[in-house]
Amino acid sequence: MPSSRPSSDLILHRLSSSDYEIKLKAIREVKNQIIGNRTKKLSYIKLGAVPAVADSLAKANADSDFGSNLIVQSAAVLGSFACGVDQGVRAVLDAGAFPNLIRLLSAVDEKVVDAAARSLRMIYQSKLAPKFDFYKEENMDFLLSLLRSENENLTGLGAGIVIHSCETSDEQNILCHAGSLEKLISGLDGSISQRDASLESLATILKNNPEAVSKFVELQNERALRSVIELTKDKYPRTRLLACLCLICIKNSSSCYLQDIGIKTKLIYILLELLDDSGQVGEESSFAFSSLVAGKEDLQKLAFEANAIDKFYNHLQNCALHPKRLEGIFLALADLCSKLECCRSKFMSLQVLNLLINALTHDEANVRTAACICLKSVSRSIKSLSAGYFTNERIVIPLVRLLSDLCTSVQVAALGAISNIVVDFTPDKSTIIQCGGLKELVQLTKSMDSSLRLNAVWSLRNMVFLADKMCKEAIFMELTVSAVASLIRDPEPSVQEQALALVRNLVDGCMDCIEFAFAEDGIILDAVGSQLQKSSKIEIAIQGMYVLSNIASGNEFHKEAIMSLLFPETENGSHSFLSQYLQSTDSSLRTSAAWVIVNLTVPASPGAFGRIVKLRNFGIVSQIKRMVNDSCMDVKLNQSVSSSIWIPWDAVSEKS
Amino acid sequence: MPVRVALENTTTPSHVSGANSRRNSFQSCSLLSVGQAFSGTQNVSSLQKDEAWRVNVRIQGCDLEHGYLCGTMEALNVPMADTPVVTFWEGEIVDTKNYTFFTGKWEAAPEDDIRHWTKFDSFGPLLGQVEMDGGKSADLSNYPYIFMRWKEQYFVNVGTDCGLTIAGFYYVCFSCNDGSISGFYYDPNSSPFQKLELKATNDGRSVSRTWEIMQALNTVSVVKSVRKVKFCCYNQSCHNCE
Repeated sequence: MPSSRPSSDLILHRLSSSDYEIKLKAIREVKNQIIGNRTKKLSYIKLGAVPAVADSLAKANADSDFGSNLIVQSAAVLGSFACGVDQGVRAVLDAGAFPNLIRLLSAVDEKVVDAAARSLRMIYQSKLAPKFDFYKEENMDFLLSLLRSENENLTGLGAGIVIHSCETSDEQNILCHAGSLEKLISGLDGSISQRDASLESLATILKNNPEAVSKFVELQNERALRSVIELTKDKYPRTRLLACLCLICIKNSSSCYLQDIGIKTKLIYILLELLDDSGQVGEESSFAFSSLVAGKEDLQKLAFEANAIDKFYNHLQNCALHPKRLEGIFLALADLCSKLECCRSKFMSLQVLNLLINALTHDEANVRTAACICLKSVSRSIKSLSAGYFTNERIVIPLVRLLSDLCTSVQVAALGAISNIVVDFTPDKSTIIQCGGLKELVQLTKSMDSSLRLNAVWSLRNMVFLADKMCKEAIFMELTVSAVASLIRDPEPSVQEQALALVRNLVDGCMDCIEFAFAEDGIILDAVGSQLQKSSKIEIAIQGMYVLSNIASGNEFHKEAIMSLLFPETENGSHSFLSQYLQSTDSSLRTSAAWVIVNLTVPASPGAFGRIVKLRNFGIVSQIKRMVNDSCMDVKLNQSVSSSIWIPWDAVSEKS
Repeated sequence: MPVRVALENTTTPSHVSGANSRRNSFQSCSLLSVGQAFSGTQNVSSLQKDEAWRVNVRIQGCDLEHGYLCGTMEALNVPMADTPVVTFWEGEIVDTKNYTFFTGKWEAAPEDDIRHWTKFDSFGPLLGQVEMDGGKSADLSNYPYIFMRWKEQYFVNVGTDCGLTIAGFYYVCFSCNDGSISGFYYDPNSSPFQKLELKATNDGRSVSRTWEIMQALNTVSVVKSVRKVKFCCYNQSCHNCE
């Protein structure tokens, strides 16, 4: 039988009735219908039931039996509307119920207080709930009164406020100094819901805050920490998950805690086991796993030994996975495969790649993003790249399509994967070009979004790496000379760095490739020069110097062009950036500067002597000589190359 | 480089990550970086005849922290093959942290190790320490030679039925001074001490102009590219941030 739609005139009329019994009955009726039923909630919201119920709540007298009964029911209905449905939260807030619910927390009738607290907890579970201002003293007094209350609903509300609104380290510190940690720790011995709320709040306060973590660990002589560890064995999966999350926050904030291999292994096994939970806990466990292993090679190794990849793969084989779960698993696999070849190798051997390829075309943007991030991580395997596992059309075509995805995060993630995949160590990058990838990448270098520009240039830089001349020409033609020069002068330093690296790879190889830098009156070289003159970022200077070095390895014309750029005739050279870079505290920059000199002074080139004389006049020779004792072996070797093998520096000084 | 099949006995080494105490880590060397090419010969002479194959090597990955190196090896005039044969190899850098002078696998006993390492003159000063404690106490961080083992993992452009084997591995010595590489192939079932000799080079350039290899080594930028994530953290929110 089709379910009946609420009859607008009747129910609204009854909800607004002046007759107490009719109104109460109508509110109960709505409550019973909407509980756990999203469709019904939306239907009643559309009908305008929320303002009517909020009105009953506002007008009822909490001091009378009738009134309190009405309030309890109205608050329950409003909380139910707000539970899990953003439209419901918005409707409740728009109807002005929020301040009334807060007001009712100080009512005498405990049932009214409970109902209001429960309703507010529902609201605070939504991102739409108003942000709680921890900086106001009276607010903190109110919050602490909630946390220290004997009433479980009030402590739960206090925890909910912390979880919802505590975002910055300042807010975390305010809560710490106000004594909230102690209050929350006492909740660990309470009921299931109190325990869970306390664990989640503690995780919120401790996240990325070493100061708060250290305060927490020291409390009661580490008893609180031991309690949380104990709760990882709780019989309730949600409690186990939250206890793990709390420990992960502690570990990630301060690496000095939880160093014991036993606890690390335990966390891995618990989270992998929680994956089997068919509900929200199972979904969230993979995200928790990600944050546990992200960037930590030791934990990735332990997870590998715990067969984590097999476990995730088994879950992925279930076709009917919820998008959130899929996303979490791909992100977990991405973190797991980010550092160790053994993990990537296992990933490849299990054929997880096939499932990943399917996810590249998933309806949900978050899943597509996660699949790309995972692909980026797995494609760090040079062994697999060299074997050509990633350059087939099954992967490249959907990836290139994602470059024009409507969601920017998908585009950025796809660019990340493409950046690695194009480093396939073959000179011919035809697959990606034939799939239209080159045009898309070049288009994205013109994006207004700097993260897209950055990653597109990054991909092109890698595409040009060791590419053959034909491929480089195709890329260069598509990009255009003026666009390359503009990217070198991009407002974003990270884009400048990648653009210089792109040119560095472009002018590597045959003599013709060096000519790319001289196209259209040398505007690219001019841009490189101006970045080197003003660059305050070492990474940019290093890339720029290697561009010069590559060009300086060319013919006489190329070498002289670099000399002119290093020592313009209008200046006396004393402020040359070359001199500064040779004295840099960064050994990589010193090395790159030394290589420029090495290539300018190679003895087989006819003009080497003249350039040496010039370098000497500008004081570069004496600088090179001083580098004999450089702490960096690479710099020292370059110094020995330039001073002992090739260049009779002393002879030059005598003659000049 | 592959050698002729003597016995099908290919093993796959596992990449052992160092669990020992962290001592001096290796300094990077421009000539042993991603994109760098080398060319030379491998002597595959046997009692029956003298033979040498031309060999090209390109480094494709280098992770000094983990003592890991990998690349491709191309054998050009292999009598049994119609085309040059390309293999992918993975290397273990002897840094006493991740890997020691003792191989401990691939059918190589400590005596085999010593016998091969001592073929390199540059190993001489280290022999005493290696005999004493396997070289664990040796400080190789500033040593101008880098010792490695290269193990071919798979054929890139031909099938396993090509009549060649990659069962053995190379003991390798790299000179930081001039980028030259010497190596000895070890496979109990192949001719002993097949010598590999390579010099750093640059495609399309005269090998004698050794120091102009700058063009190739400057593509070291790809190290950052492949390990792109190392740079993610300051320019994008990325789950892979390191």
